[in-house]
Amino acid sequence: MSLTASTLEPSQGTPPALRQAMEQKNAIKLRGRKILIIDDDRINIRILASILQNEGFAITEGNSGEQALELYEEIKPDLVLMDVVLPGIDGFAACRAIKERHGDSAAPVIFITAKTESDDIVEGLAAGGVDYLPKPFRRKESIARIRTHLHNRILSEQQKALVDQLKAANQAKNKLLGMAAHDLRNPLASIRGLAEFLCDGTVGQLTPDQHDLANTIFETSQSMLTLLNELLDVATIEAGELKIHKEPNNLTELVEKAVYLNNINAARKNTKIVFNPPEEAPIVRMDQAKIRQVMDNLLSNAVKYSPPGSTVNVRISGYHPAFNVAVQDQGPGIPENERHQLFKDFMTLSSKPTGGEKATGLGLAICRKIVEAHRGAITATNLPHGGCEFSIMLPA
Amino acid sequence: MKYEGKILLVDDESHVRKFIALVLKQLGATTILEAGNGRDAVEIYKRELPNLILLDVNMPIQDGIQTLREIRQLSTECVVVMLTSLANRQTVEEALNLGADNYIRKDTPKDEILASLRQTIAECFSAE
Repeated sequence: MSLTASTLEPSQGTPPALRQAMEQKNAIKLRGRKILIIDDDRINIRILASILQNEGFAITEGNSGEQALELYEEIKPDLVLMDVVLPGIDGFAACRAIKERHGDSAAPVIFITAKTESDDIVEGLAAGGVDYLPKPFRRKESIARIRTHLHNRILSEQQKALVDQLKAANQAKNKLLGMAAHDLRNPLASIRGLAEFLCDGTVGQLTPDQHDLANTIFETSQSMLTLLNELLDVATIEAGELKIHKEPNNLTELVEKAVYLNNINAARKNTKIVFNPPEEAPIVRMDQAKIRQVMDNLLSNAVKYSPPGSTVNVRISGYHPAFNVAVQDQGPGIPENERHQLFKDFMTLSSKPTGGEKATGLGLAICRKIVEAHRGAITATNLPHGGCEFSIMLPA
Repeated sequence: MKYEGKILLVDDESHVRKFIALVLKQLGATTILEAGNGRDAVEIYKRELPNLILLDVNMPIQDGIQTLREIRQLSTECVVVMLTSLANRQTVEEALNLGADNYIRKDTPKDEILASLRQTIAECFSAE
């Protein structure tokens, strides 16, 4: 947006308060702004035009409602002064037509009215007008009102441009994040996998020192990979690309599979995940991969924050139309004063993983977004005898 | 469940082949053939007739989806497991529709890859 016209100077004799207000507004330059005046009374137009031309505005004149619409399209004014009673369509109708065509980006319309009856004023405001100028015109008042509305208009245009810029920048950031995460992920997965093979002796026994190094490579690449995956998820979700494909799925089967695979990891800490499936398998319409991701996250968290040798309990409850999956850990629970941060991006609590695992602070935020995209809910409750229960509710 | 048949491992990235080859060895595989793109994979397939193929999706020269198509024209018997970098739903569905038996995300931890491959092998080869 270019605001290159020169500054408006308050004239001699301007009251100090008004002068101050004008000086503030001069930060945004109003000179050269286009004003469309519609009035069928030549004398009125001449008076208004001379006042406004003195202030440095560019004036275009018209004398009917139809002409108002034509000239609006032609000159794209920054503000419209509109008489109410006009030949052809009246000022209210012309204003409504402009608002209809241009919506929020329409220029502000100020009605010129001889009557000061409030009915007229109310109708004008209802038609989309922002203000009214009573006839006969009082010069300073007219100028002050026009300036105020022009000023508001420019501010809102600037704000809109800024919001658009920020949206574009955020999109570019998400795209970059996604690309980086994607390209880094495969090599990192290989580094982790190869380090794991070194560690477990598949390719020959290592000395304790060598084992320690290989293990550090494994653990570091593991936590980088988790962070990368979560960044990628956040980028996808923020870009509005979290797409949920709901299909009827057996919730018990999904939980069983997640429990089975997470038990492999839990075994390293001597922790057990125990799942007692319900008698009747609930069928839930859900995105299997995404809910699996949520389960993996809740289960690995439960293992992460419970002391080694703990038992994590998983159960499914509820019946049609809503089912609950609850994961109970034996960790320290959630401090009451940190509870509000639990499901936010990049929020890690004061509780620390008990086996040196890493926390990115994104996992639960992603869970919440996935569950909410299913129109479900995720909650965390401290258990009376210690530990915490994370529970997701999914509508069938 | 041990698997001792002939395996063809296709991925354009050598580090991925190195890693997956180690997983396959842990599975008991002794004969692992490797290809770095889809066209080479089809050539090797015709010559060697492996029973199990691990097939990357995104590759230069010829991608995994086209390769899967060509292999399925030659044989409906051999087991094909796709290697994906993203669980891209569309790609996975397309591959499964074209007759892939399963898919594995390459960033899955090795024990999970092992478990998943064991399961696929048990399902696909148990009848034999």
